Amino acid sequence: MDTNNIDYKKEQSRFFKVLIGLLLLTAVTFIQPHLFLTEANFAAQMFIAVLKAWLIIMYYMHLKGETLITWMAGFSLFIVFTFFAIVIGVDVQHFQFKDESHITESAIPLHEAGHESHSTHSAH
Amino acid sequence: MSKTYFDETHCAYGHPKSKFMQWMLTIDHKRIGIMYAAVMFFYFFIALGTAFMMRLELLAPGAQFLDGDSFNQAFTLHGVIMIFLFIVPGIPAIFGNIVMPLMIGAKDVSFPKLNWFTFWLYVVGTLVAMASLFTDAGFADTGWTFYAPYSITTGTNVIFTLVAAFILGMASILTGLNFLVTIHRLRAPGMDFWKMPLFVWGIYATAWIQLLATPVVGITLILAVMEKYFGIGIFDPAKGGDPVLFEHLFWIYSHPAVYLMILPAFGIMSEIIPTFSRREIFGYRAIAISSASIAGIGYLVWGHHLYTSGMADTAKVVFSFLTFFVAIPTGIKFYDWIATMYKGKIILSTPMLWALGTIITFTIGGLTGVTIAMIGVDIHLQDTYYTVAHFHYAMLGGVAFLLFAGMHYWFPLVTGKMYNEAHAKIAFYLNFVGFNLLWFPMFIAGYYGMPRRYFDYLPEFQIYHQVSFAGAVLFISGVIYMFVVFYKGWTKGEASGTNPWNATTLEWHLPTSPAPLENHTKVPYVDFNPYEYHHGQPVVKFDYKTMQRID
Amino acid sequence: MSHEYVPEIATDRDGKQHEVQGWQDDFYGGKLGFWLFMFTEVLMFGAMFMALSYYNTLHPQEFLDASASLNRLLGGINTVILLISALTMGLGLLKMRTGDVKGAKLMIWVTMLLAVAFLVIKGFEWRAEYHHGVFLMHDKLLADSSFPLGEKLFFGLYFTMTGLHGFHIIIGIGLMLWLLKRINAEKVRPDHHILHWNIALYWDIVHLIWVFVFPYYYMIGAGGATGGH
Repeated sequence: MDTNNIDYKKEQSRFFKVLIGLLLLTAVTFIQPHLFLTEANFAAQMFIAVLKAWLIIMYYMHLKGETLITWMAGFSLFIVFTFFAIVIGVDVQHFQFKDESHITESAIPLHEAGHESHSTHSAH
Repeated sequence: MSKTYFDETHCAYGHPKSKFMQWMLTIDHKRIGIMYAAVMFFYFFIALGTAFMMRLELLAPGAQFLDGDSFNQAFTLHGVIMIFLFIVPGIPAIFGNIVMPLMIGAKDVSFPKLNWFTFWLYVVGTLVAMASLFTDAGFADTGWTFYAPYSITTGTNVIFTLVAAFILGMASILTGLNFLVTIHRLRAPGMDFWKMPLFVWGIYATAWIQLLATPVVGITLILAVMEKYFGIGIFDPAKGGDPVLFEHLFWIYSHPAVYLMILPAFGIMSEIIPTFSRREIFGYRAIAISSASIAGIGYLVWGHHLYTSGMADTAKVVFSFLTFFVAIPTGIKFYDWIATMYKGKIILSTPMLWALGTIITFTIGGLTGVTIAMIGVDIHLQDTYYTVAHFHYAMLGGVAFLLFAGMHYWFPLVTGKMYNEAHAKIAFYLNFVGFNLLWFPMFIAGYYGMPRRYFDYLPEFQIYHQVSFAGAVLFISGVIYMFVVFYKGWTKGEASGTNPWNATTLEWHLPTSPAPLENHTKVPYVDFNPYEYHHGQPVVKFDYKTMQRID
Repeated sequence: MSHEYVPEIATDRDGKQHEVQGWQDDFYGGKLGFWLFMFTEVLMFGAMFMALSYYNTLHPQEFLDASASLNRLLGGINTVILLISALTMGLGLLKMRTGDVKGAKLMIWVTMLLAVAFLVIKGFEWRAEYHHGVFLMHDKLLADSSFPLGEKLFFGLYFTMTGLHGFHIIIGIGLMLWLLKRINAEKVRPDHHILHWNIALYWDIVHLIWVFVFPYYYMIGAGGATGGH
């Protein structure tokens, strides 16, 4: 099998390099909410996660150089992103029943029949 | 040479002596396909019986012998069997298994043991689905769609059906995975993607849908189970959940699933049309690419099931727009098939008759689908008999008809015998007339407002239900007649020879009929297109001992 | 494999010979199949993340509050544990490929140990949450409690997703035990290591899922409960 023609030392050092990268990124994950981009916390966290995922996929999972599988993975991810774009970006972002529906309330009124208002603290 | 991996029984485990155990443990793709067919048609007839029961109940207004609750369970049973047990696994599991490896010149699928496991997983799934029929709470009454919150609050045994759907989904995923790797890895040398028969293209596109859409419904069903038994709030508005999310997740799978059903069916059509027109298929690449693009666009249109569910208006517009797009590649296919027949030597054998019949029924089914893709029209027609008629025209008149066409087409390949053509044609006409009589009145009834899933109706709808009933009787007799023809053909039919239709694809170049274990004597080198005809005769000829071309 | 598999040869019209890829002994096919399986995992967790962000969109502030109340220290330790276990798994595969079967087995054991550690920490976390009244079918997550809706949804999905992830870890441990058995039976060898390869891939996808689960649950509400709002 052709996959056995590898240089152990070289591969091992690559593994450790990637590990250090991942550990650094994890550290950044913890520092970021307190230090920078605090206004865009969510986006920053997800961006770091994507970086980590990229390192894992490319080096730990050996996707590098696999053209066919890369295309397939790209296709799968594209599908997931499209689902997100439509369901989150197009549908829920434009949720139309904020005034009528109770699922956007902070809490469901305990006795729905007797409640006259949609005030968020009604159940407390 | 390669016959040494397992012994000559080709079993997943051991070397059983008895014929029965050899079948139960077989990893041979042809046998597994036949077993799938047997199990599926067993359930098909149960669901057909349930449907007939409902038609009988609807013959007159008011309750005859089914009350509302049993009627709900009846249409759920019909839907669950027809969708999850029959038509979703349907063509890929039967013909994908039997024919696809033959068409690409492979000895088996890529993971034969997994294939065996998948079949039994499927059987377990069917048993779980049916088990709730025999429990106290009774079969689910939610409809096959399990819409939350009702599915979470109903007292009937939804859990069995949900778990069964999950298991069947896993079987479906594994089938798709197996086929994808098979098509990528095991094509005969020389056969690139543009030399594959179009049925293989259909299976390939289908396999991607099986692989990437099914997990979504799997997790949705798990979330529903979590909600029902662990009280987390996800879909039930009483706990803050949004039922629209359930419908999103459910249709993200279930809409691509209808393309999953129809794509291999279109593949069968693309095999039959050139064979019986004795002409190379018109627009091979267009058909192949349209299969792929139907699969692709099919992922993006699920929202047209949610027009009346409270989705945002922006989303409705987007979905309506995307839905129209699916009609384009489908239309391309139909024009290509018709163009193939133009100036061909058309031979009206039974498979061809079924294919031609499908062109009519599926066109009706498809075009009525375009009408309800429009938001305004759909508000009026949603959940009426119009919708019911539309998807039965597409599913029964499209998928099931082409499945029957495929059964007639590949019958000699599987059994080595030939059925009686004259009787088979009578069966077709019975089916065709019965089918249209059964479903067409529903378009009208639905247009006038007959809602679906009701066991009772206003007296003015009675005439439609009566005509439908007459159609149902004809149709069911036709189906039974067809199976009698098959049975007689299998037991008493004449030997068919290896290539009775003068077809060109590799599955007709086997040394014997039925096909031997391990298929072709030797793997051929493929340097030809799948449908090469010259003056009505196949171009490519093989010496079946060496599998080398001799033309 | 009691018999050696010999690939077939197809001959074209010019007499040129082409080796036929059989389903037997197809390393790349096995790898491809497992990648396809991993896509189904991606879609499955993708759908759950979609449910999560669906309710996040409807209840942005409550999601931040709920996230802020999770134990970031334990979550962080678990992140590092998984990170290192991915390394040991990878090194094990590397050792297997270069012929060091003993080292490979050691590495698998280490990975398994780390996996168990992950589960134990996860257990402590869940226990603490239980004592705060936050657990499935318990106290604050009951349908009639006055706990804010958004937080109920958050924790419902939190237990579902981390639970399912934990379930994957348990399956992973089972797979590694099976792998060790296969190595001992010499069914998995340096020249036939597809099973080891795929289980290493499986472990990476389990890690990968955590890479996204962790920030979405633990970190979005970090740095003050407002998280920038």
